[in-house]
Amino acid sequence: MTVLELCTAAATETKAVAAALAALVRPGDLVLLEGEMGAGKTAFVQGFAAALGVSDPVTSPTFTLHHEYDGRLTIHHLDVYRLEHLAETVDLALSEILDDGGVTVIEWGAAVLDALPADYLELRITFGDEPDDRRLAVRVVGASWAARWGRLGEALEVWRC
Amino acid sequence: MLILGIESATMQVGCAIGGHEGVLAHVELCRGRRHAETLVPAIEFACRQADVRLDEFGAIAVDIGPGLFTGMRVGIATAKSLAHALRVPVIGIASLDLLAFPLRFADRLIGAVIDARRGEVFYAFYRQVPGGVQRLGDPQLGTPADLAADLLALPGEVLLVGDGALRHREALRDVPRLELAEQWLSHPSAAPLVQLAHARALREEWVSPWELQPLYLRKPDAEINWSTRDQR
Repeated sequence: MTVLELCTAAATETKAVAAALAALVRPGDLVLLEGEMGAGKTAFVQGFAAALGVSDPVTSPTFTLHHEYDGRLTIHHLDVYRLEHLAETVDLALSEILDDGGVTVIEWGAAVLDALPADYLELRITFGDEPDDRRLAVRVVGASWAARWGRLGEALEVWRC
Repeated sequence: MLILGIESATMQVGCAIGGHEGVLAHVELCRGRRHAETLVPAIEFACRQADVRLDEFGAIAVDIGPGLFTGMRVGIATAKSLAHALRVPVIGIASLDLLAFPLRFADRLIGAVIDARRGEVFYAFYRQVPGGVQRLGDPQLGTPADLAADLLALPGEVLLVGDGALRHREALRDVPRLELAEQWLSHPSAAPLVQLAHARALREEWVSPWELQPLYLRKPDAEINWSTRDQR
């Protein structure tokens, strides 16, 4: 088990990847999103939330830090980009959010790994050659996601580079 | 002096009004998590029904945790803003103290245990003293197994109270001489909060709204390494 490398050529495809992933999530899951501004982190969450039955518009939580959406599962959408100290994750009530039985998606989550459980899926989005091209690297940590690695590969096969 | 007590450190949210006559009004809900939607209407209801105007309060008391930050930030922000607007001081009291205080008539050691989520609990032990309880040592953050080990090291019977004890009662199954207080006692309450705060107010043990801080037991002090962010 290493890394799944995916290639997409439009934001709609990134959303489709998100939807395929959403079909495999379970209550309590944690997803970390990495990628530059404009890479498509929020687009990913939009596709992810829509696939889980969220009809409310999904917007970036960069300045509001935490958005909550009710779908088939509760989705906690966080962005820790504006935090300076790990202690601020406490004020953000990260422990309670992670324990809520929903799915938590954290933009820039790798920066606060010390405050997170060692059980998550990480998606790293980088730019490709064309303006709309993206490379998506999927990596999993922990037993719960490792057990789903095979199904993850099947679900995302169509976008393999 | 009248005191408004604000309690929101766990699943339960509520307020109480009290003073030298004791507790005059007490509103509490322990269903749902929307503390922000419940707290201020509860204060308004309590004041209106008890015929108390906001400007009659001489101090605002609030539970400063340890507890759930989704709730605490609502209570502490409300307490600070009310105190600031009314130009009165604030009195912060620890959640575990509020859990233990109503059990002060018990005949054994008291353990207050609050669910910290992610498989951990906040806890502290108390013994009875005239007029109240006294905490033995600092509040701890640990797993239910840590709590069980600490309980096994204690002499005599222990009465445990709090949502953390109820949630993790299975992990405490092998601890002998242990009893758990029931659910309606298992959240810190605004009634003991105003009672304890009134005693402190008489001694002027209070702070300015901007000095009030929540109690952090789970506080990583590292700065976030933003090498990626700061490169741009």
